[in-house]
Amino acid sequence: MENEEKTLTPQESLRVIRETIDIAKHSFRENGFHFLLWGWLVVFASIAHYYLWEIQPVERPDIAWIVMVVVGVPVALLYEWRRNKNERTQNVMHSWYGLIWLGFGISMTISIPTAIRGGLSPVPFILILVGFATFMSGILLRFRPLIFGAAVIWAGALWCLFLSPPQHLLLQAATAVLGYLIPGYLLNAQSRRHVQRS
Amino acid sequence: MLNRVAMYKDLDPLLLSQLRLALMSFLMAVRDADFNLLKEKTGATAGNLSVQIGKLQDAGYISVEKTYKNNYPLTICRITPEGIAAFETFYSDLKQYFDK
Repeated sequence: MENEEKTLTPQESLRVIRETIDIAKHSFRENGFHFLLWGWLVVFASIAHYYLWEIQPVERPDIAWIVMVVVGVPVALLYEWRRNKNERTQNVMHSWYGLIWLGFGISMTISIPTAIRGGLSPVPFILILVGFATFMSGILLRFRPLIFGAAVIWAGALWCLFLSPPQHLLLQAATAVLGYLIPGYLLNAQSRRHVQRS
Repeated sequence: MLNRVAMYKDLDPLLLSQLRLALMSFLMAVRDADFNLLKEKTGATAGNLSVQIGKLQDAGYISVEKTYKNNYPLTICRITPEGIAAFETFYSDLKQYFDK
């Protein structure tokens, strides 16, 4: 782009727009960190909750989920703080991606007490919401494993109809592995390959 | 044909430059970007890039913020609402040109 004042033809203009937007889109690479962090925490908390409910009963087996607040939130905030510090651009896709998961967080915060107050297991509702956020992430990142992961999570939500509430927890752990841990590792591998190439 | 020529003349002349159009396209997709990233992504020289950024800034299409990061000077370019409107009009005019 050394020619400072070369006047473009309409065809050239369209090509420049398409090529540049494509470059910008590819500069947003998600490395799957949050899928791995929250995925492992969900697996741990679900199994711990099941254990404290069915195998070694305690008064409040749902205490297992404290790990999400004590470990998940600070680690995620620290990671985002460090990422924003090193970021050289604020990509619109990155903002949408964050907004999708913010919407998920708000919806989940409302649906959990609502379900419990109604005497229902919150797991199917959580899976429906996680499935939707994972699906949207897959579409935004154009990453098919996440779309397949979303389908697995939604199927898990349906399967809950035939299981008891404690079993929902084991199913939730399984959908976390298939629905976002495996896609998260694939996303991470893709991101590493991209970094090595560039 | 005459219609197409007239439409070509109507296209925003400021955006009919390769580097300025590339800058605007990139800034449409990202909210803001630092000078070095723009230089890297467009492949332009620092001097040329500065000149073209100045022209877009004079037209009110982008804003430029000079700040510091880790004690190093940092120039951040950001597309303005006027710039977004100009780009959208340009793109829409371009599409109409091809539709005719």
